[in-house]
Amino acid sequence: MTLLTVAGLTKSFPGVLALDGVDFDLQPGEIHALLGENGAGKSTLIKALGGAVVPDRGDVRLDGAPLPVGDPLEVRRRGISIVYQEFTLVPELSVADNIFLGRESGRPFLRRREMRRAAQDLLDGLGARVDASAPVRGLSVGQQQMVEIARALVGESKVLILDEPSATLSGPEVERMFAVLRGLRSRGLGIVYISHRLEEIFAIADRVTVLRDGRRVTAAPVAGLDRPQLIRWMVGRDVTEEFPPRTAAPGAAVIEVQGLSCSPRFSDVSFTVRRGEIVGLAGLVGAGRTSVALSLFGALPAQGGVRLEGHPVSFRSPSEAIAAGLAYVTEDRKGRGLFPLLGAGANMTITYLGDFTRFGLVSRDREEAAAAAAAKDFDLRASGLGQRAATLSGGNQQKLLLARYLLKPRKLLILDEPTRGIDVGAKAEIYALMNRLTSQGLAILMISSELQEVLGMSDRVVVMHQGRTRGEVPRAHATPERVMELATGGGSQHP
Amino acid sequence: MIRRWLSSYAIFIALAAEFLVLGVATDSFFTTGNLMNVLRQNAFTAILAAGMSFAILTAGIDLSVGSVVAVAGILCADVLTRGWGLTAGLGAGLLGGLAVGTVNGLVVTKVGIPPFIVTLAMMLIARGAAYKYTDAHTISGLPAAFATLSHGLVPVVIMAVVFTLAWLVLMRTPYGRHVYAVGGNREAAWLAGIRVNRVLLTVYMVCGTCAGLAGVLVASRLNAGYPKAGEFYELDAVTAVVVGGTSLFGGRGSIWGTLAGAFFIGIMNNGLNLFHVEAYDQLVVKGLVLLAAASLDRWRADAV
Repeated sequence: MTLLTVAGLTKSFPGVLALDGVDFDLQPGEIHALLGENGAGKSTLIKALGGAVVPDRGDVRLDGAPLPVGDPLEVRRRGISIVYQEFTLVPELSVADNIFLGRESGRPFLRRREMRRAAQDLLDGLGARVDASAPVRGLSVGQQQMVEIARALVGESKVLILDEPSATLSGPEVERMFAVLRGLRSRGLGIVYISHRLEEIFAIADRVTVLRDGRRVTAAPVAGLDRPQLIRWMVGRDVTEEFPPRTAAPGAAVIEVQGLSCSPRFSDVSFTVRRGEIVGLAGLVGAGRTSVALSLFGALPAQGGVRLEGHPVSFRSPSEAIAAGLAYVTEDRKGRGLFPLLGAGANMTITYLGDFTRFGLVSRDREEAAAAAAAKDFDLRASGLGQRAATLSGGNQQKLLLARYLLKPRKLLILDEPTRGIDVGAKAEIYALMNRLTSQGLAILMISSELQEVLGMSDRVVVMHQGRTRGEVPRAHATPERVMELATGGGSQHP
Repeated sequence: MIRRWLSSYAIFIALAAEFLVLGVATDSFFTTGNLMNVLRQNAFTAILAAGMSFAILTAGIDLSVGSVVAVAGILCADVLTRGWGLTAGLGAGLLGGLAVGTVNGLVVTKVGIPPFIVTLAMMLIARGAAYKYTDAHTISGLPAAFATLSHGLVPVVIMAVVFTLAWLVLMRTPYGRHVYAVGGNREAAWLAGIRVNRVLLTVYMVCGTCAGLAGVLVASRLNAGYPKAGEFYELDAVTAVVVGGTSLFGGRGSIWGTLAGAFFIGIMNNGLNLFHVEAYDQLVVKGLVLLAAASLDRWRADAV
């Protein structure tokens, strides 16, 4: 009998259809891999299963009985446990305390000894060599993952969902975890295993469901599949014509990065961006791309060689990088980009406010003139320059940030996920703008997790995998398969 | 929209209402003597609150200003008793405040301790130092000319100058915009090229200097350097800023709101006195007003 059945699950967020009628099923004693590109809908699916996200439509059944929506506690009580990607352990508490966190036994006083024994039994049952009375602080990442799994198994657990459990583990730790998962499978548990690492799918999973753009592409037994087939399913579509043609004539090198390292985020990163060129920095989430960008921009200290127009540079702060002609537009507009309480105009002029002063005082006329010109130039649509940034649409917020940094001519523009959360129309405008800027000689480094965007806009694609530059693909040879191969750690390092 | 409007102007409406109520209900409120008193008495708090506005706008706070009032007053009195002249005395008080503020700012930015803790520690240290330096005695015997600093409208004029400068800096200079930006979104400010640490350091320098100035004025009024001077003034200053509509979360508030907040509290005290409300009850009322103002800010923040 089927353990878990998902039928027609649909969930939309403003501007995005995250899940579009997804079907999924899980058998007892099965390890079922869930695979898909960044943004394919994997996270939304497991959040919907766990009750953290309320789907718009669709049906979830556990053992044939409908599961309540939007009630994480009830879902947990019914036997679905999720181990999220980010660790949720409290470092200062002991392993046992963590395992029973929120489900402590004993009232009003904790039964510490009983909890410790139960925790130890649980860990021993998993074959994990972890002392239940030790503080979590001192555990290795692999041991912490074991504690997370043990915690998910407290009470009666029928379904265990693991979101990228291997992301931070070393090879032997992954092997140990696999042994634990196989043990659980033989006990009849259903396990949903999410990973980007294709080789793991072949090593551990019985079946695989592939998601793409919020839809289920296929569900198939792993036996008999090969790696290229999986990549084709993940990538699927061809690169369509939504991207304006690139007619770049790259000039002299603007930035040359040689062996840049920032342990443990990334190491030995090397690439070059030339005048008038768009270089796509591709890779999976967590590959270290944003950290590289922040380092170039002086926001994250790193070791190694960076040359700007031939001169070695090492910026200690973003203000130094800006003074040298760099610009960085963040992927996290709300958290690290906008000043929500300031108006659109003030948001644009903040970086170069000193240029609009007279006798040390900001000249309203000059500031407003500059903001108005930028708004026109970047086609910013707001009710006025006083409209607060938080109330603008995603596309207009992005234009606003671009305008802020490009108010003065720049040498290198770093775009981090330039079209994330932006509707199709605004996307096309951003692409057109990128073309215009490069034709004026600007060098652009574009971080993007959207394969289509990387292939459609880049003159060259640099692929990162686990903090290292894994390879470089010129536009002519950039296929989805090739980039995905490198991004998942496959392929030869030098094409 | 209504929420935003209400929370921006609530303090001015409240101040006007206060005037109205006291004007109608008492005969003594609208007398020149009483109004002069109110202005003069609250000038110190208002000056402290002006500096405090800078710190709170960056989502920080400066709890040491009350102790700095004592330190600055003592430094000033000490210099005056040595006969080095009024300018030197005034300078000593201001520089003392600036020095304490600089230390606050450096610890906040270089060590990375939350401002609340840094300035709480400084509140104790500076107060202790004030007692130690004077051996818990009052420094008196100051030149008669020094007292003129607190005569008539002089403190009020000084306050007006402070607020005009504060307004000019906050609203019309790039630095002022940076203060708001750092308070509104520190990460974004850093990535926009603002030297965040420099902004944070300087707001505590401003705060300290304002406290130094207030300390000199208080010493002038007492005509003595007094180690107990300015006790709990930091709480009055924070109350004035918050009641004046500045958000404790940073990035939102106006200097005129702070001025109105300082006088709202001052006039409220005055009114409660005129109505013969007991001092203990006055404390309770003040606390309730602070809670109400902070709730208004929370309500405002929830509305995005």
